[in-house]
Amino acid sequence: MDPYYLLLTAVSLASIYGLLAIGISIIWSSLGMINLAQGFTFTAAGYGAWLVAENISTNGLAVVAGGVITGALVGALTGAVAFVPLYDKPNFPLRSLIATLAISLMGGQCLLWLFTPRVKALPKIFGVGSVHIGPATASYDKIGAIACTAVLLLLTLGWMKRSRRGLEIRAMMQNPEGAALVGVGLRSTAMAVMMVTGAMAGLASVLLSQTYFISPFAGTTPLVKGMVVALAGGLGSVAGALIAAVLIGFVEAFTAVELGGQWVLITQFLFIIAVLLVRPRGIAGMIEHSRE
Amino acid sequence: MEAQAGSHERMTPGVPPVVGARRWLPVLRGHGGASWRRWRYPFTRRTPLLIETNYNPFTLAAERRIRNPAPILWVIGLAVLAVAPPQIGSNSFVLSATSFLMYAAINVIWMLQIGTAGIFSLASLATVGAGAYGSSYLSVYFGFPWWAMWLTGPLFGLVFGVFIALPAIRLEGFYYALLTVGIAELCRVYVIQDQTLGSANGLMGADSFVPRWMSDRGGLVLGYYLGFLLLLGALALYRVVNGQRLGRLLRAAPEKHEAFAEALGIDYRRARIQVFLISSSALGGVGAFYATLLHGATPSLFTIDQLLLLLAMVVIGGIGTAEGAVVGTLIVVLFDKVFIGLGPIRLILIAGIMLGTVLFLRGGLFGVPAQYLVWRGKRRSERRGRHSQKGGEVMPEEATEIADKQAIYVRRFDARVRIDLKRLITDTLIEEHRTTFGKRRSDALERVLTYFRGAAVTDKYAVLAVKPFAEYRIVALSGRRGVPPRTVDDQIFTSAEAALHGVFLKRVQDLMNS
Repeated sequence: MDPYYLLLTAVSLASIYGLLAIGISIIWSSLGMINLAQGFTFTAAGYGAWLVAENISTNGLAVVAGGVITGALVGALTGAVAFVPLYDKPNFPLRSLIATLAISLMGGQCLLWLFTPRVKALPKIFGVGSVHIGPATASYDKIGAIACTAVLLLLTLGWMKRSRRGLEIRAMMQNPEGAALVGVGLRSTAMAVMMVTGAMAGLASVLLSQTYFISPFAGTTPLVKGMVVALAGGLGSVAGALIAAVLIGFVEAFTAVELGGQWVLITQFLFIIAVLLVRPRGIAGMIEHSRE
Repeated sequence: MEAQAGSHERMTPGVPPVVGARRWLPVLRGHGGASWRRWRYPFTRRTPLLIETNYNPFTLAAERRIRNPAPILWVIGLAVLAVAPPQIGSNSFVLSATSFLMYAAINVIWMLQIGTAGIFSLASLATVGAGAYGSSYLSVYFGFPWWAMWLTGPLFGLVFGVFIALPAIRLEGFYYALLTVGIAELCRVYVIQDQTLGSANGLMGADSFVPRWMSDRGGLVLGYYLGFLLLLGALALYRVVNGQRLGRLLRAAPEKHEAFAEALGIDYRRARIQVFLISSSALGGVGAFYATLLHGATPSLFTIDQLLLLLAMVVIGGIGTAEGAVVGTLIVVLFDKVFIGLGPIRLILIAGIMLGTVLFLRGGLFGVPAQYLVWRGKRRSERRGRHSQKGGEVMPEEATEIADKQAIYVRRFDARVRIDLKRLITDTLIEEHRTTFGKRRSDALERVLTYFRGAAVTDKYAVLAVKPFAEYRIVALSGRRGVPPRTVDDQIFTSAEAALHGVFLKRVQDLMNS
């Protein structure tokens, strides 16, 4: 077994899951909402990219832009339906969770209706082939996935660190009520968060579609994995999500190589259950009371 | 009278007491001797109906009211279920009705986990799947008959429940909900990949409870009635667990009040896990019934879509009540089976109902009465608030302080009269008053003057003749015997008419300022 191959696979998987997990994590910590429609955002963004590739251009940048923009739009839609009408109502966390589930059910069926169950394939935006880096061999799509994720994550984290809007988002993550009191608009900030995380899911969708096909319910497995990563990392922690993404990507790659593909979910779950039993709030999770 | 007043203040549980909200209940006839005759559950002192007897204060006749009509509705609904579908329906209808009964049973038991135990587990259908797969496995590979499958199903459910209860000890709320979604997905992937469990086709070929000699229709009707018994059993379990000791313990330890319950000596964790395990074994039993009904188990039991449908049922009916679970199941199954020709659109409709319920209702359909009462109370107090903005009237919160209720109405009347009179005051009216002493006056001026004359004596204006026919001043009466009037200002009038007109002008000024 090639350890470099293992490492590369782990990191490329981690980058894709990490994009979804960081989205789920940021949404939970800033909006207090578990977004289970992230899988639908993922799928819809895949179809958006496919439409761009079919109708406009098969240029890599155009396809990525199509996925990212669709993801941001669907994210905004989710926020407008599940967050804005509900955030000041009683029993908000449960109701918004169910609302996002309903959106994902509705959206999945709409996609099935519009695009039929037949799977779609995206063009290979990074080309076909592989490159030798020292002793390791890396295919273009893996390197592309890692590079794209790194660029988008750096841009997003930099934006959250430097910009006014990022400051507002971080304020909302720490204490939404306090943020509202000093003049942060909860709704507009929430919509910004939903659009950014939707864009992340869109990018993840385009990247993963280099390996897998697009189908109306393709978002379920990435959603479950992203959720698992977010849980293991601790809801509300970007750093924790990154660490967990790498660890879980490694577990997946290792299991697939050593035991076979059918054991992947099982070892992942045993891993996450072990993590959660030791640290119930995940690797770097906030204490729940700090949000209240 | 005392008892009558008290009976109105006592509200039904779950409905917040709102000022002025009274429930109208039909009155049964009866006499004093009948007031203590009740139906009771055998060997207990519990009564299915809470019948309250009061004596009408005017006719002195005994009036009996049923304070909880729910059991009557339950009996009617279950009687319809027991009789109607096998009589009126085609084969596919009876099969749909059977699946409704099964889903209703699952949801009622699931309600024990979500509502009573407060463990937000989304692995209910996965537990059913564990029971179904386990018992089918025993039947297919070891030749277990159907009754042995029914006996072993709960065991599989219990084992699965223990497995998924382990994380529940440490995890809270949404962490656990997300984890159980993952566990269901894990089960689906595992089942699809395992050859001995039949891969994607499911594990078919399990024994059925339908005897070989029975016709197809007979088998369906038998399945329906066994499903009905299953639902009755689930309701009985709900009643026993939720209404008895375990349920009471957990009701004393709701979310965010656990620490208080613990301080009272309630071991809420233990009670939660107990409820969870009891309901898990029951779900395993439902799974065994599923396997014997459909001759096996399929991976669709573990899909997120099925889970979503179940969640839609529970959410539409309202989390926390057994009737919510049953009625929500009925609505969703109706949509799912009746509009089956629509294809995916029917699922979009169901999701739309679910979304609408969550966006507009706090506690599903069965939370509507409570929510309506709260809404009505809010509207009423808003109306009262608008009402009290009129000048000079008594505010509602003030009204409770005033013992003499007549005073409240006098002030309200006075305020309205003043509003009317203000419209009559014009410059021509004042000029008319100055020029028409001793003459006939217009109707408007007479009205204004009549109002002025009727004012209270305290601080009433009067004319003091300092020197008759030469010097007059305006004074205000003290209203108390022995206390002289005080002078109002330095103005000196030379005639009585001019002084009276001055008094009129002051009163008009006060009226316009009030």
